[in-house]
Amino acid sequence: MKTGPRPRFLAVLLALAMVGAACSSRDDDDSAQTETGDGGAAAESSINTDDCVSDPTQEIEGDVITLASSFPQSGLTAAFSEVARGWEAYLEKVNADGGVEIGDRTFTFEFKDMDDQYNAAETATNVEELVGQDGGGAFAVFSVIGTANNIAIRDFLGELCVPDVFAATGSPAWGNPDFPWLIGSTLAPYSLEGYMFAEVLNEQQPDAKVAMLVQDDDFGRAYEEGFRQAIEGTDIEVVEVQKYPTGASEVSAQITALAASGADAFFNGGTLLACPDALTKAAAANWTPITYVSATCASKTLMGLAGAAGDGVYTAANLKDPLNPEWDEDPAMQEYLDTVQQYRGDGFDPENAIVAYGYTQAAVFVEALKAAEGPTRLAVMESVRNLDGISDVGLLLPDVSVTTAGEDDPYMGESLLLAQYEFAGEGQRNHFVPQGELVDFEGQTLELTPEDLVTG
Amino acid sequence: MDGRTFTVTALMQLFVEQVLNGIANGVVYGSVALALVLIFRTTSVLNFAQGEMALFSTYITWKLADEGDGFGLPIVAAIAISMALAFVGGAVIERVLIRPVEQARSPLNVVIVTLGLFLGLNSVAQLIFGTDPQFMPSPFPEGSIELFSSGGDTAVIQKSTIGMIIVLFAECALLWYLLQRTKAGLMLRAVASNADSARLHGIRSGRMLLLGWAMAASIGALAGSLVAAQRTGFDASLMTTVLVFALAAAALGGFDSLLGAVVAGLVVGIADALTIQYVDALDGIEVVLPLALILVVLVVRPTGLFGRRTVERV
Amino acid sequence: MTTPSDSSGAATEPAIGTLPEALAEPTVAEGAQPSIWPPVPRLVLGIRIAIGVALSVVALYAPFYFTPENNRILSQAIYLSIAAMGLNLLTGFNGQVSIGHGAFFGVGAFTTAILMVDYDWTFEATIPVAAALSGLVGLLVGFPALRVRGLYLALVTLGLAVLFPRVASKYVDGTGGVALLRPQRSGFASLIDGLDDDQWAYFVCLAIAVVLFVLAWNLVRGRMGRAMIAVRDQEIAATTVGVNLAGTKVGTFALSAAYAGVAGSLSVMINRIADATNPILYFQLSIEFLVAMVIGGAATILGPAVGAFILVFLRRNTEDLIEGKEILAPAIFGAALIAIVFVLPEGVVGGVRRLLARLGRRSAGTPAARPAPASASDVPNDSTNPGGSHEDGT
Repeated sequence: MKTGPRPRFLAVLLALAMVGAACSSRDDDDSAQTETGDGGAAAESSINTDDCVSDPTQEIEGDVITLASSFPQSGLTAAFSEVARGWEAYLEKVNADGGVEIGDRTFTFEFKDMDDQYNAAETATNVEELVGQDGGGAFAVFSVIGTANNIAIRDFLGELCVPDVFAATGSPAWGNPDFPWLIGSTLAPYSLEGYMFAEVLNEQQPDAKVAMLVQDDDFGRAYEEGFRQAIEGTDIEVVEVQKYPTGASEVSAQITALAASGADAFFNGGTLLACPDALTKAAAANWTPITYVSATCASKTLMGLAGAAGDGVYTAANLKDPLNPEWDEDPAMQEYLDTVQQYRGDGFDPENAIVAYGYTQAAVFVEALKAAEGPTRLAVMESVRNLDGISDVGLLLPDVSVTTAGEDDPYMGESLLLAQYEFAGEGQRNHFVPQGELVDFEGQTLELTPEDLVTG
Repeated sequence: MDGRTFTVTALMQLFVEQVLNGIANGVVYGSVALALVLIFRTTSVLNFAQGEMALFSTYITWKLADEGDGFGLPIVAAIAISMALAFVGGAVIERVLIRPVEQARSPLNVVIVTLGLFLGLNSVAQLIFGTDPQFMPSPFPEGSIELFSSGGDTAVIQKSTIGMIIVLFAECALLWYLLQRTKAGLMLRAVASNADSARLHGIRSGRMLLLGWAMAASIGALAGSLVAAQRTGFDASLMTTVLVFALAAAALGGFDSLLGAVVAGLVVGIADALTIQYVDALDGIEVVLPLALILVVLVVRPTGLFGRRTVERV
Repeated sequence: MTTPSDSSGAATEPAIGTLPEALAEPTVAEGAQPSIWPPVPRLVLGIRIAIGVALSVVALYAPFYFTPENNRILSQAIYLSIAAMGLNLLTGFNGQVSIGHGAFFGVGAFTTAILMVDYDWTFEATIPVAAALSGLVGLLVGFPALRVRGLYLALVTLGLAVLFPRVASKYVDGTGGVALLRPQRSGFASLIDGLDDDQWAYFVCLAIAVVLFVLAWNLVRGRMGRAMIAVRDQEIAATTVGVNLAGTKVGTFALSAAYAGVAGSLSVMINRIADATNPILYFQLSIEFLVAMVIGGAATILGPAVGAFILVFLRRNTEDLIEGKEILAPAIFGAALIAIVFVLPEGVVGGVRRLLARLGRRSAGTPAARPAPASASDVPNDSTNPGGSHEDGT
C-alpha cells in the first residue's frame, strides 16, 4: 500500500501544533486571583460569598472600572440601543470631570458592549466573553436590556459573584433572593403599575369594570397578576383580559372584544406599537374608558402615534420628561441635554424617554459607587443593594428617591407619580403631566407582588 | 364575560364587528399575498426579500410624504413615485444580483441571495430612516360608514378599509388582464413556467424575468405603503408580522391565483379576528389557525383553494 | 483498489451501509456494477487523505489551544453542522425543501432542557430522547409533506418555525416566569478528569458529529441513499423502478428532524439555554441551517460542516466591523452570503471538488461532481429541476 506523502505531512502538522502550543492563548493557569483584598466588608455582608468562583473582595487593579453590557444594536429591536446613548454620555462626562472616587481611590470608566439582537443565548455568550469564565474580565455588567436576557446571565454571574446591575426591565423577578448579584433599575416593578391604576380607580370609579390588554408572556402576566392583587378587597373587578402575541403591532380584534365586555376602565399593558394601536382602535370604536398605559409606552414616539386618542390616559412616572416645558429651565434637564449632545452627538432624539432613562441609571450607579466602601465587586454590590434615599440625580423627579435594603427591599423604582397625557394638538410638545402627590411604595414591593412573580 | 345579558342582536353585532376587523386586516394580507403571487408567477422564485423590498419602498413613500422629516408630498404622489423607484430597483436587483446565480445549477442559490437581500435591506433601511416608529398618512378619506345600528350600538366600517378593498380588486383585475390578456403577460408566464422552452420560442427570458421582478417590487411598494397607512405606526418589523399571514394567504389561494390570494387573505384575516374573540385557548397564539388552515387545505388540495393542477411528466 | 484505513478520507467503494437494506443487497458493495459515485483518482485521494488527517489533528488539538469562549464558538459551529447535515439529507439529497428545521432543533433543545430541569436527568442521557422525539415530530410532519412539494412545502415548514416558539412559550413555564429554561451548570460537568467543562462539551459535540456524519455518509452511499436521490431527481420514474416513495420521503424527513433535534440538544449543553421568548429565533435558525448547507455545498458530506464554520465565523466577525454602525451588521452578513454564492455557486466543497477534479487525472466518463439538489421552486413542473446535469468535470 502506497501511503504517499502522509508521514511528511504529519511531521509538518506536528511542527505546526508545537508552534501553536508555544503561543497558546488558553490560560490553564488556575493560580491567578488567589490573593484576597481587604476592600470589602466581607464579615458583615448580606451576600453569601462562600461559593464564589472569583474573589469578590479583590480590589480593582489600576484606575479603570470596566463595565460590560449587551443589548440589541441591530435587528428589529435595535431602537433599544438608545438607552446606552444616555448612560454612555453620563459616564463619559464623569470621566471628563476626573472620574469617580470609590473608597480613597479614583477611577475612570471604560465600557464594552456587544450586540445580542435581543436574543438571550447571544446575551449569555456576550457576557461570558466580556466577563470571562474566571471573572477576570469586566468588573460589572450594567444595563443589560430584556427580562429573558438577564435571566440568561444571572446564574452565571451569580456563581462568579460579578454584579449585574440596573437590569433594564421592570420584572418583579429582580427581587429574587436567590440571585443577590442581580438588581433592577429605577423602572417601576410591573406589579406596582397595577397599584397605580388601582389608586386612580379607587378615587374616580370605585366600582370600575376593568378590561386588560396584556402581552402573552411574563411581562403581561406580571401586569395581570399584579393588578388582580392590587384590586383585592375593592369593588373593582376585571371583566375581560385579552392577550396579544409578542411583537404584534395590530390589536383591533382584541380591542373589539374588550370594548364589548362592557368595561369602563382599560388597563393597556401593550408595549411598542401595540400600545398606540390599542388607543387608536379604542377611540375609533368610540370606547372611552378610564385608561392606564404601561410605563414602557410613555415615550414621545409611541404616544405621538396615538395622538388625540391618547389624551387623558394615565401612567406612572419617576423621571422628568424632556417634553414637559416645566423642566425647560431646570438645571438637571439642561445638564442632561448638554451632556448627551456633547458626548453622543447627533443621530438621535434626546427627547426620547429611553435616552433619559439610560442617563439616569448611570447617575444613580455613580452615586452607589461613591457610597461603596471600596473598589471591590462585593462592596459595590452591597452599596447598590443598600442605597440610602438617592435623590436629585440624573432626571429623577423632585421628591422621588431611590432606596434599597438588601433582600428585604431589592427594588429601586418604588416612589412614583401618577401622570396624565395632555394632547394639545399635532406638532405640539404633547407630554405626560405629573398629577397629585407622590405615591410611595418604598420597601413594599415584595409584599404587594404575588410571590410567584418574584421567585417563580 | 360578565353577568350582562346579551341580546341576540348584541352578539350578532359583535360577530359582525370582528368580521369587519378581520376584513380590515385581511385586505392587508391580501395585498401582500398578491405581490407574492405576482413574483411567483413571473419568476418562479421563492423571494424571501419580497417583504423587505416592500419595507424599503414603504420608507421611501414615508420620506416623500412626511411633513416633518420628509418632503411633504401628497401621499398619492409619494406612493406613485415610490412605485416607480421600486420598479427600477426591482429591475436592478434582478440584473445585478439574481441573474448571475440564476444560471447556477442549484436554485437554492437564488434563495440564498434573496436571504442576503432580506438581511441587508432591513438593516440599511434602519440605518437610513432610523429605528423609531413612524406614521404613514393614508390615501383614503378618514372616518367610517355606519353599516347598521341597534339599541344605541352601531357597527361601522372604516372608509380606509373600503378604499383598500377597492384598490385590491382593481389591482387584481389589472394584473389578471396583464398576465392573461396581453402578449407581455403571456411571455412572462411562459418564461416563469419553463425558461428554456420559452427561449426556444424566441422569448428573451432575461428581459421577461427583469420585468417580473420590477413589477413585483412595484406592487410590493404599493402594498407596503398601504399596509403602513392602515397601521397606527410602522417600523422595520412591519413586514415580518404581516408576511406570515400573507404567505398563508398565498398558499391557501394556490400561489398562482391572483383572486385566490385576495380571497384567502380575507379568509385568513377573518379567521384570525374570530379566533381572538371566541377561542380563549388560543390567546396569543392565534397564528396557529392560519397555519393549520394551510396544512388542512394543502393536504386535501395540494394546489391550494384556487390553484390549478399541473400534469406530471417523467 | 485498497481503501486506506482513514476515517476522514473518502473511500473508493460504496461502504456497506449500517442499514439492514444495504445488507440485504450485497451485490451493491462489490463495486462491480457502475455506481453513481465515481471512482476517485489517486492524486485527489491523496489530497483528501491529507486534508482529512490535518482536520483531525486540528480538531483534536483545538480545544486545548483556544480559550473557553472560543471553544464555545467552535462547539456552536459543530452543532450547527449537525443540523445542517440533517437538512442536507432532506433538501440536498432528497429534494424536500424545509425552512422549518429550527422547530425540530427546538423540540430537541426543550426535550433536553425539560428532562434536566424538571426530572434531574444527566445531560448525556437526554440526547437519545431528544433525537427520538424530534424524529417523531418529523415523522408526523413528513406525512402531510408527502402531499405538498417545493414552494408549498417550504411554506408549511416555515409555519412550523413560526409556530414553535409561540406554542412553547405558552406551555413552558421557566424560571422567572420567562419561557426560558436554564439547566444547572453541574449537569454538564466534564466526565473525564483533566478535561475542562468547555473541552468536554466540545468533544461530546465533536464525537456525536463524527458519528452522525459517518452515518449520513454511509446512508447516502447505500440503498436508502440511492432511493433518496432517485426520488429527488425523478420522482415518478423512481416509483416505477420500485422505490417506496412514501417510505423514502417520510423516513428521510424523520431522520433529518432527528439530526436537528440532536443539534438542539447539544445547543443546550453549549449555551445552557432553551429559549422560547424570541418569536423569530427558530425561523432564524432554520435559515442558518439552509445557509450553512448551501454555502458549504448542498448534497455533499462535508459541505454542511464547512458551511456551518463559515457561518459562525461570519456572524462573530461582522458584529463590530464598523464602529458606531452596528446596525449594519446584518447587511454585511447578507452581503457576504451573496458574495459566497457568486464566487462558489456549488458551495465551498463543490468548488474545492472541482479544483481537485482538475488536479486529478481526468479519466473519461467519471465526472467528479454529484447531481445538484432539487429546486426550491419546482412547483408547476419538473423542468426547473436541475437533477442529472453531469456536464462538468472537465
